[in-house]
Amino acid sequence: MSGPAAMIETRDLVKRFVKTLDLAGRIANRLGADVREEVVHAVDGVSIHVKHGEVLGLVGESGCGKSTLGRMIAGILPPTEGTILHEGRDVAGLEGPAAREIALKVQMIFQDPFASLNPRMRVEDIVGEAPRAHGVVDAAGQADYVDGVLLRVGLDPAFKRRYPHQFSGGQRQRIGIARALAVKPEFLVCDEAIAALDVSIQAQVLNLFMDLREDLDLTYLFISHDLSVVEHISDRVVIMYLGRVVEMSATETLFEAPNHPYTRALLAEVPRLDIRRRDYEPVRGEIPSPLNPPPGCHFHPRCPLAGPRCRAEVPRLAEIEPDRWSACHLNDGGVG
Amino acid sequence: MSDGVPTLSVRDLRTHFLTKAGAVKAVDGVSFDVAKGRILGLVGESGSGKSVTGFSIIGLVDPPGRVVGGEIRYNGANLLDLDDEAMRDLRGNRVAMIFQDPMMTLNPVLRIDTQMVETVLAHHEVDKATALARARDALGRVGIPSPEERLHAYPHQFSGGMRQRVAIAIALLNEPDLIIADEPTTALDVTIQGQILFEAQKLCRETGTAMIWITHDLAVVAGLADEICVMYAGRIVEKGTVDEVLDRPIHPYTHGLIGSVPSHNSRGRRLTQIPGMTPSLLNLPPGCAFRERCPRADEACLAEPEIAEAAAGREVRCFHPHLEAGA
Repeated sequence: MSGPAAMIETRDLVKRFVKTLDLAGRIANRLGADVREEVVHAVDGVSIHVKHGEVLGLVGESGCGKSTLGRMIAGILPPTEGTILHEGRDVAGLEGPAAREIALKVQMIFQDPFASLNPRMRVEDIVGEAPRAHGVVDAAGQADYVDGVLLRVGLDPAFKRRYPHQFSGGQRQRIGIARALAVKPEFLVCDEAIAALDVSIQAQVLNLFMDLREDLDLTYLFISHDLSVVEHISDRVVIMYLGRVVEMSATETLFEAPNHPYTRALLAEVPRLDIRRRDYEPVRGEIPSPLNPPPGCHFHPRCPLAGPRCRAEVPRLAEIEPDRWSACHLNDGGVG
Repeated sequence: MSDGVPTLSVRDLRTHFLTKAGAVKAVDGVSFDVAKGRILGLVGESGSGKSVTGFSIIGLVDPPGRVVGGEIRYNGANLLDLDDEAMRDLRGNRVAMIFQDPMMTLNPVLRIDTQMVETVLAHHEVDKATALARARDALGRVGIPSPEERLHAYPHQFSGGMRQRVAIAIALLNEPDLIIADEPTTALDVTIQGQILFEAQKLCRETGTAMIWITHDLAVVAGLADEICVMYAGRIVEKGTVDEVLDRPIHPYTHGLIGSVPSHNSRGRRLTQIPGMTPSLLNLPPGCAFRERCPRADEACLAEPEIAEAAAGREVRCFHPHLEAGA
């Protein structure tokens, strides 16, 4: 990255989940069997950056590692390898107050508004606990502060003595947003934050995200499987497939001229309101298991353009034009 | 539509759940037709009654729910007059259902072949080898590679998308005239959803099966269905061909719903949002159920609007429809 430091940057971030051998496996190995540990490469060398004030959309199908990446950036999952830089500073090296400051600045909003709120806490405590504990407000100012945050996300402060189960899905998601906003973050990681909501409620929450961005000068990492939502809200988009970034560019460029064959396939599959009784031409094959990903380019078994090189060599994420990145051998000497 | 009688004709269907707190009118006066080889998209948000409509047609509404009125005519005969035995004969044979969760169809402890052969033998007097051959053909038709070997697998050995294909293959086994698909692609990834939609479309074109596709996703029915019924609070509020309804919605709810779907020309702009949320169906006040959220509501809406023909082939349940040009 040249120029001013990005708000968040990841360098070759890797997350592996290892299932260690259980007793039966170890005994079997003693007896001469060859039982291996299972390793999932959830995130496999991801380098992305999020600039100040932008919305970066992160898209991919199940198992592509988008949520794992989001959790690492939000600081709730330690990376196996690689570094996360916040304003140019390595997050891993920080301790004490500096680490806490960054932890507060990066907040996360979760997918399931039913599972992410403590059912035994009142809304005022869910929203008020963190700012109080971190000294954002004092005890005297807490009630007013909570009222202000609730109003900002469109909830009536009169309901703050209620419990989460007394709210609808859309309202709960607003509570989740209020909880994140209460500690005055600069950066929000939204992990499928509207996926569980009905269409008309989705629009309300999407509009809220856009208002908050303007009013509070927020930066977002917006994780979603829904391309139309990402196209609507993002400035730049990152496409992931099986733990790796396959394409990253400005939203207009990506949707008008997708470069990577996977992006093209994905865009062709998205149902759109303006395409009627279309003839679906599906991408062949399944998404491979991240336990046993194909060698070379992960997409090659499903790619219509794949050649011998794709099976052998991992394509590098290369800048094909300024600020337009793609990981495909076709941009770099062909597939032969 | 050659012989004039639609495959399915639902008239004034009412399915209520009689709870201690009162009657929940989940489906309250729903009427529509599905012709041979056509796909009807039944669209609505949670609690609009779209799934209960599907369950009512196939006779799977559990107590305290009960179909309390109306007619469900399948090839002319009213399904509500059939006894349990006759209904069982029809279900899985002439009329099949695909659920959102394929594990509602599949038994986790039986192999796929066992389950598929069972479905054939329950309705047809054929030998096991014939039944097995049919099962293999059905798996092949929904795009499962090497169906011969996959027949011996258990459901847990399939991925989510593959399981949904197996569930669809089971629905196809007896070549039904009508398939009710209840959000079958909602839990699937985009590329896998594309594959399932492709199979569904091919099926209707090739075999003339009529299909009801229940979904909350307008974009999916846009690419798939011939007609759309939009449901709100247990009633159909708008009905018409896909092009008519999506390009020129006339009910304020449909209007708002389409405005709230992000599309590629909505980028950077605010979405039209429908204020408030869907009402509780318990003790729904009289009058138009949408009036609390409707920008066009006035005193007239305190009365109950009837569904009426607004234009050729268009029906709408509203006192103030968007009829002016360009609305």
